[in-house]
Amino acid sequence: MLKAVTGRILSSLLVIVGSSALVFVIMYLLPGDPVASMIDVSNASPETIANLRHQLGIDRPFLLQLADYFGKLLRGDFGQSVLNSEPVLPKIAKHFPATLALAAASAAVSVVVGVLLGVLSAIHRNKPIDLIARIVGLLGISMPAFWTGILLLLIFSIRLGWFPAMGSHGWRTLVLPALTLGLIGAGFIVRMVRNSMLEVIGDAFVVTLRAKGLSERAVMYRHALRNALIPAVTMIGVLAGEMLAGTVVIETVFSRQGIGRIIADAIMAKDLPVVQGVILFSSLVYVVVNLLVDLSYAVIDPRVRRSA
Amino acid sequence: MYSTQRSFKWTSALLAVSLALTLALAACGNNNNNGGGQAAAGDASPSAASPSASQADGSPSAAAQGGELTYALATSPDTLDPQRSGLAVAVRVIRTIYDNLVVKLPDNTIKPWLATEWTESEDGLSYTFKLRQDVKFQDGTPFNAEAVKYNYDRILDPNTKAANASALLKPYKSAEVIDEYTVKLNLETPSRAFLGNLSQALLGIVSPTAAKKYGDQFGKNPVGTGPFKFVKWEENAEITVERNPDYNWGPEIVDNKGAPYLDRLTFKIAPEEATRIGSVQSGQVLAAETVPPQNIVSLKSNPDFQVLQANTIGLPYTLFINQDRAPWGETKARQALQYGIDVGAIVKTLYLGTYDQAWSALSPGVLGYDASLENAIKPDIDKANALLDEIGWKKGADGIREKDGKKLTLRYVDGTPNREKRNDIAAIIQQQLKKIGIDTEVVITKDILTEVFTNANFDIYGNSQVNGDPNALSAFYHTAPKGVLGNIAHVSDPELDEWLEQGALEKDDAKRAELYKKVQQRIKDEAVIIPIYVFPYTVAASKSVQGLKFDLLGYPLFNDVSLAK
Repeated sequence: MLKAVTGRILSSLLVIVGSSALVFVIMYLLPGDPVASMIDVSNASPETIANLRHQLGIDRPFLLQLADYFGKLLRGDFGQSVLNSEPVLPKIAKHFPATLALAAASAAVSVVVGVLLGVLSAIHRNKPIDLIARIVGLLGISMPAFWTGILLLLIFSIRLGWFPAMGSHGWRTLVLPALTLGLIGAGFIVRMVRNSMLEVIGDAFVVTLRAKGLSERAVMYRHALRNALIPAVTMIGVLAGEMLAGTVVIETVFSRQGIGRIIADAIMAKDLPVVQGVILFSSLVYVVVNLLVDLSYAVIDPRVRRSA
Repeated sequence: MYSTQRSFKWTSALLAVSLALTLALAACGNNNNNGGGQAAAGDASPSAASPSASQADGSPSAAAQGGELTYALATSPDTLDPQRSGLAVAVRVIRTIYDNLVVKLPDNTIKPWLATEWTESEDGLSYTFKLRQDVKFQDGTPFNAEAVKYNYDRILDPNTKAANASALLKPYKSAEVIDEYTVKLNLETPSRAFLGNLSQALLGIVSPTAAKKYGDQFGKNPVGTGPFKFVKWEENAEITVERNPDYNWGPEIVDNKGAPYLDRLTFKIAPEEATRIGSVQSGQVLAAETVPPQNIVSLKSNPDFQVLQANTIGLPYTLFINQDRAPWGETKARQALQYGIDVGAIVKTLYLGTYDQAWSALSPGVLGYDASLENAIKPDIDKANALLDEIGWKKGADGIREKDGKKLTLRYVDGTPNREKRNDIAAIIQQQLKKIGIDTEVVITKDILTEVFTNANFDIYGNSQVNGDPNALSAFYHTAPKGVLGNIAHVSDPELDEWLEQGALEKDDAKRAELYKKVQQRIKDEAVIIPIYVFPYTVAASKSVQGLKFDLLGYPLFNDVSLAK
């Protein structure tokens, strides 16, 4: 067990280093120049531009920049924004709680709605509840978040005035964004849980359990659901990535603070240190969540515990 | 099998119904702003109006005291250090915190602000300013000659990274403190634009104490002498400033020279159009900037709201034609574009009558703007075709013109994101030019610096500049603009150069205006550019917001704003 966990942690580290190197290369290759977002180019002299590039260190050879980046990173220096000299790490630390709140609330919506509807629809196959579950699944997967977001905003904030249209303080600001983002996850989970539930219900052991005279409730919720949840839990790990990516759009639509907004702005301005910092941080979060998911198998499934 | 099929039908029926319902609900969400839509999140809190008629002297009649104005911005400022910023959105906030030495009025006259009077030396190489003696920065630091010197020297210091501000401050050389409230500014060369530029927000006066204390983080901890004091900045969410009770030195452009009527002013950052404008409609904010054309039309017809508009001045959005690339070095080829592109139709289609068409290299309101150029060019496809025929470009079988086996192509470069629908302009022009046999390749890129300014790999590129002085033309139309990259069209005309140089030095405003009129006429006659539109800064606001004004450049002024009960 311990060996497996250390192995996982080591490979996770590799993922983090690899992804930040990859982002560095992509950002380097992308057209555009941070200088152009800092000054009015038509009003600047070539020397001014050269000086700025030099100050930012982007006139150096690529490998030197890359080495410098990792060198600083090892010393815990994430650098500072090229636009306003703000240090990157405190910037992320300041904005991450809002993103975390959004992601957690959305994940809660996804899991509660997804698992509940998934189980019910499998048990009551082809009944109205199954129909509703399948619509939720379809809509969640197929509707783009910015569209759902604006729609919910128009109805529940601007028309009905139930929730504020912008802001990131208090639970009321969280409702619409979490619903928007949570619906996507719910769509995936509903389908996943429904399918695996249906599969498990058809398994021989369920027949055995029923033959033993267990109540239908016990068969479904104590035994079948537990088996059906394993693929769904895997899904949650994948969803963590979806949630982080989704915040980029959602935070913009609902004018929320968060690291999604930061990275969107930073990419537009080619503010490399900020982009790097957020990516590194996000991949760290992603890796940790997936590590936790892997470890949770052991809790859910005794076979995993024994084999490891 | 039967059951799956049936449930499938059920699914699609239910889906259709629910979709229709949501759409219907959303569609009728436009009017009826008073019913049900409570001011959510307590945004419009009436925060106990302080009725004390304290500093009532000089303030006009009965503007209501107190209250908080919430004002939604479309993008986030980069920094609130005026000398480091480059974004118009930052200037909207910066204007509330800082003052300048002088102010420029809409009639282009320059009036006192933090300076009470000034004299220019005979040779035009120095200005001596007498300063107000009753001004304090919001942190208590006294405002004096030493502070002015510190500010302008700070802009020149490369470590400040004040690229935009230092371009405006040119040709400033040094400052001498004559006495506590007298400062002499020395210039490298005489400049007519210099005094006017001192009125621009990017040359606002910052507190030397705070600037030294915070160093490169000053932009997050701004301190000036302005009507509002900085309170807090929650990045990507809001910036709050509050009334500076000591303020008593408002410029001539505002009525209220004393402290503002508002207690607080909160800028909310809302990038999504629907959120921003919807928040005004539902009363969650009192005002929002940058209103899309379709909303301008509908808000104007609603009695609960007002749309305020101020045209920005300087260089309008203009397409520059690169004369270094054949055949665009030939006047007739450029004139063909002038007649072949129907600018009026483009502006009407994209902005629904809410933007004004531009006719000249300058926008209305700048000293020397030549109004006689308005409507001087009428789109004329036959004329455009004839001009191209004349210089030997004949239409081929595919409708595209050719000469010596070469197709007539035009590389139209534009930047991303699609600011003010500029990418759409490119797409329409592509269609229009097809009619006169030009094959237009539209290239949308993030890397304008390399594509346009370094490699000049383009035939058309559009640009604009907010600027209060006609000398702005020098950067774009002088053969060798002084050390800047501005001459996008690669135009080289000795007479233009001469007029621009004279204009930069001429002391008599009337003569100066004449020189710039000649410049604008030549630019039009030689078809150097295609002017497209004048950008209006637009604000949607509740009717309760009164007294919102704009300065010469189109930036909002909050000194006179009050909230009606």
